[in-house]
Amino acid sequence: MIAIALRNLKHRPGGFVATFVSAFLGAALLMAFASLLDTGDSESLTSTATIGGGWCLVIVAFAVTSTLSLSVRQRADQVGLLRSAGATGPQLRRMIVGEAAAVALIASAAAVPAGFALGRVLVGLLQNTGQVPSSTEAAFGPIALGTGFGVTVAGAVLAAFATARRTAGNAGAKPERPRLRRIAAVVFLLAGANCSVLTATVMDGKGVDAMQTAGQAGIWAAIGLALLSPELLRLVTAVIGPPVRSFGGVAGELAVTGVHSRARQLAGAVMPVLIFTGIATGTVYMQGIEDRAAEGQIQPAYAQDIQTLNYVVVGMIALFVAVMLVNTLIAATTCRRREFAQHRLAGATRGQVLAMVSLEVVLVTVTGVLGGSLAALFTIVPFGSARADRLWPDAEPWQYGVIVALAVLLTAAATVQTTRRALRGPATAAVRA
Amino acid sequence: MNDAVRVESLYKTYDNGVTALDGVSASFATGTFVAVMGPSGSGKSTLLQCAAGLDKPTAGRVFIGGTELTATKDTARTKFRRSRVGFVFQDYNLLPSLTVEQNVLLPLRLAGKRKPSSLPFVLGRLGLGDRAHELPERLSGGQRQRVAVARALVTEPAVVFADEPTGALDMRSAREVLGLLRAAVHEFGRTVVMVTHDPVAAAHADSVMFLADGRLAGTMQRPSADAVAERLAHLGDNTVRAAA
Repeated sequence: MIAIALRNLKHRPGGFVATFVSAFLGAALLMAFASLLDTGDSESLTSTATIGGGWCLVIVAFAVTSTLSLSVRQRADQVGLLRSAGATGPQLRRMIVGEAAAVALIASAAAVPAGFALGRVLVGLLQNTGQVPSSTEAAFGPIALGTGFGVTVAGAVLAAFATARRTAGNAGAKPERPRLRRIAAVVFLLAGANCSVLTATVMDGKGVDAMQTAGQAGIWAAIGLALLSPELLRLVTAVIGPPVRSFGGVAGELAVTGVHSRARQLAGAVMPVLIFTGIATGTVYMQGIEDRAAEGQIQPAYAQDIQTLNYVVVGMIALFVAVMLVNTLIAATTCRRREFAQHRLAGATRGQVLAMVSLEVVLVTVTGVLGGSLAALFTIVPFGSARADRLWPDAEPWQYGVIVALAVLLTAAATVQTTRRALRGPATAAVRA
Repeated sequence: MNDAVRVESLYKTYDNGVTALDGVSASFATGTFVAVMGPSGSGKSTLLQCAAGLDKPTAGRVFIGGTELTATKDTARTKFRRSRVGFVFQDYNLLPSLTVEQNVLLPLRLAGKRKPSSLPFVLGRLGLGDRAHELPERLSGGQRQRVAVARALVTEPAVVFADEPTGALDMRSAREVLGLLRAAVHEFGRTVVMVTHDPVAAAHADSVMFLADGRLAGTMQRPSADAVAERLAHLGDNTVRAAA
């Protein structure tokens, strides 16, 4: 089966692009942060590595898992074919896990130069802000390589194992286990709420240090809410479904019906939108609150540096999530080629299919943006209370506007472009593919 | 008798150089049930798809109810097709997220038309009366294909094309679907053109048209399964001899 796995990689490299991209970016980020530990063991280095790296770890694991399960689900037909040719469950599992391990290994190896360069940028930054003596030589050693390769490959293998159990476990697709997902969601939300409470109580008056718990609160909450995407999507559709139906005509009707029966697949598109909006909004406004609170106050010497670093780390993570967003949406839309073709065979014009997908994008982005905004409040409200004694930040709305516009733009562009491509050529050929 | 479908010198060559249709001219009279038969690769499915406007012939013209289909562009062709042409596929091609009723009504809804008052009657006639709100995944193959037949008939098209409609069905379900196609022609005056490789299925038709190597290779009126099977075997001989 490992041989088949490797043949698959060689024969259809396109099917693995999404997994490769997320593993590559994730490994590069992890290596960059871990290389700080190779560089030395001063407090600045260690804390940047653990805080930045810790955030990355969570998000990378989440991203790799979701892309991988998407790409395995896309190939349900091939798995079915192998099964009917006599492949057993364990054999299929070995194939899926083997593919994931190979992709993760190649991606990690390819990420070494990028991780090396990013690590240097981080060390340079710490040197510029005076947290690390300029005599320190940036190093890239066993910790960077070990973390980068180890986490990426282990994460991919674990994710593949979980997905394979579902895909290849039994003949006939097993329904997903919503209970496990919901329990995980509640755990993440509780962790987020816990960090929020800590920020507002224990960290009150601790100044800039409250950022650590406040930042985490938003990330945990975003992941928790992302896990609840199917439910959120149904909720949003129940509310704005009727107007979409009446204004969108048959395309609106199909979009709303589609959400009800395909909530799980579409939820895969909601997740990155939600995480992107949540993390970006939370951090930008947290920084805004901090900037205002710091005005005219005597600050510890490292406050300014933390500020810079915060922007860099968040910038990296936001970029990563943005790439993930586009990545996931392209993968999720490409595998709907057959469904689009079936609509066309039933008499839908290309324009009607595109209209249907666009209205789905509306439902997906509204859900993602609302969920992300809610997650951001887990950061903003307690941090504002701890740092500025006000729950609602005295901040300008345009930053939020930019973030939402970016989320909408990325989602719409990725989905509509991919749909256009999926609609090329005759429907009779696409339906067989 | 006027023709529901007429094709004139259809040629179709695929990008990989394979010629599927090599100058086919034929007409299908309104109110008849015609089976199109031929060995694998004889071009029968391609003929059906080109005639239905699902694929574009390399050269030649297609007329549906007197209107030239080949003269229109993609979107216009889709709009024409969904109101004037029904198509039944071997693997149903129902939308998994839509109920039986929604699937049947889809072509009408896409064309911006209302639900016909006759729908409950039609679903009942197809034995789907109590299944209107189920999803396709809950139906048997035979039931799915009946939904597909209902969808193909709902717009009251000039012609219904069926590409191996019984290819994935057991014998009893196949007989039911063929009976429905026959009833559509003889009770409701529709026109059905069906591609099949099964002589038993072809025997349900009023006549059979044979294709070999992308060309017409004869017709047969009031076919019986045995006669069709023998003719098909003969057709194979001819092809081999011609090639040698």
